[in-house]
Amino acid sequence: MSDPSPYQIPDGLFYTKEHEWARVTGDTARVGITDYAAKTLNDIVYLTLPSAGKEVRQLASFGTVESIKAVSELYAPLSGTVTKTNDGLTNHPELINQSPYETGWIIELKHSRLEEEKRALMSPRQYEEFLKSLDA
Amino acid sequence: MVEFAGYDMPIWYTSTMEEHMAVRNRAGIFDVSHMGRVDVTGPDAARFMESLFPTGIGKQPNGKSVYTLLLDEDAGIIDDLIVLKVDEGKYLLVVNAASKEKDLRHMERIGAGLDFKLDDITEDTTMIAVQGPSAVEALQPLTPFPLGEMKRFTHGFSTVKGIRTVITRTGYTGEDGFEIIVHDVGSGAVAVWEALMKGATPCALGARDSLRLEAGLPLYGSDMDEATNPLEADLGWVISKDKQSYVGWQRLTSLMQQAPARIRRGIVMDEGIPRHGFKVTDKGREEIGVVTSGTFSPVLKRGIAMGYVKTPSPQMGDTVMVVVRGAPSNGKIAKFPVYDDSLYGWKRKTHQQ
Repeated sequence: MSDPSPYQIPDGLFYTKEHEWARVTGDTARVGITDYAAKTLNDIVYLTLPSAGKEVRQLASFGTVESIKAVSELYAPLSGTVTKTNDGLTNHPELINQSPYETGWIIELKHSRLEEEKRALMSPRQYEEFLKSLDA
Repeated sequence: MVEFAGYDMPIWYTSTMEEHMAVRNRAGIFDVSHMGRVDVTGPDAARFMESLFPTGIGKQPNGKSVYTLLLDEDAGIIDDLIVLKVDEGKYLLVVNAASKEKDLRHMERIGAGLDFKLDDITEDTTMIAVQGPSAVEALQPLTPFPLGEMKRFTHGFSTVKGIRTVITRTGYTGEDGFEIIVHDVGSGAVAVWEALMKGATPCALGARDSLRLEAGLPLYGSDMDEATNPLEADLGWVISKDKQSYVGWQRLTSLMQQAPARIRRGIVMDEGIPRHGFKVTDKGREEIGVVTSGTFSPVLKRGIAMGYVKTPSPQMGDTVMVVVRGAPSNGKIAKFPVYDDSLYGWKRKTHQQ
C-alpha cells in the first residue's frame, strides 16, 4: 500500500511533466496548472498570457506565471489555437492557488492534434507516480 | 527548503504573502541564526573599530547599535553590518552569512599589530528577529527587559525565557522590532521560538526579501558588492564627515569630489514584475541601468525593484522602463520605502491591534 498523494489529482484530465493539466471537452481543451505546481510556487501574483487567436505548440511555452519570488514558464499540454483566457485571473491570480482545477483555469484552446499528442501526456495515476518520483 | 550560505532555510512556512502582511500588520518572527556574529574585545578594540569603519563608532554612547559598512582600500563594499557598541573595549558585529569568512580575514589583516581578539560566536548562539508593529507585545512577556523604553538602534543585555540574550532594536523589514541573540543552540532556543509564536507569525526567506525590498534595504551580494562604493549605493549617510584614516577613506575623499556615475534607486512598476538582471531604459528605450533586486510588493500589489541608474539620474516620479523578458514595461522612479510610511513601517502614526 502506498500513501495517498498530498496533492489533488482529479480524474479525467491529462497531465504534463511540467505540471500543467488539460481537460478535453469535444474540440476544446481547458488548461491550467496542477495543485502540486500551485502549492510549490506558493502565492501566485502575476500572469502573462497569450491573447485569443494565438497558436500554441505542445510543450512549448505559452506564457508565464509568477510568484512573489520567481517566474515560471507555462507549457501547453496540447497544440492548438487559444480561444479564451481566464479574465478573472487578471485581478485575482490567487484563484490558481485556491482552485487550480476549477476557477483557477488559465486558457482554453481548440486542439489540433489531440490523438497523436495525448500519448505524450500522463494519466492521473501516472502523474501521481511521477510526483512521488520527484519527492524520492 | 533552499541552501543559503551553507544553511538549509525555508522560503516560506505557509505563504509569503501572509507572512509579509503579518509583519506589516502585527508581528512576525524570523530565524536569522545564519547571520554571522563576531565579538571584538580587547584594549585596542576601540582603535580597531575606528580604523575599520567610515562611521564614527567611537563617539557613540555604549548601548548603540550602528549600521555601517566594511570597505576595502578602493572604498568597495566588503560587507554591510550592524556594530553593537557594548563598551569601549567590547563590540559585537552582526555580518552577512556569506561574507563572514571574508570579513574575518579582512579584519585580521587590518588589525595586525593591535591588541584585540575576534571571537566568532555564530555557532554558539542563535538569532531571532521579531518584527512588526506588535513586536513589543510579542516579546515583552518573555523578558524582564523594558522594551518600550528602548530607542531604535540601541541594545541591551537581558534574558528571554530565562536564557541569556542580547536584544537590539533593529531589523531588516522597515518595521519596528528586535533582533535577539540567544546564548543557546538547543532546546532553549527552540523554546524561545515556540513562545514567540504565541504573539507572532513564523516568517521565512521569501517574506524577508519582499519586506526588505519594500523598505529599500539593500541585500549584500545582490544590490552591492566590492565593485560598489557607498556613494553609488546611496549609503553616503553612513560616512562620518569629520572622520579620517579608516580603510577606504582616501578613495572616498576623492570620490566625494563629484557625483557618482550611477546611483541606487527604487522603481515601482505599472505592470510586470522586475527581477535581478533586467535592463532599465529611459522613455526613449535607451539603456540607463539594471535591476539588482525585484519582487512583487504585497502592500502595493505591484512589481517593485531596486537597481542602479546612471547619473544624472531620473528624478523621483520620472517614468522609466524595465525590460521584462524582452517586453519594455513602464515604471516610475520611487523613493524608499515604497509604502506610505504614515500607514506602514516604524514611522507609522497609529497602530490598530
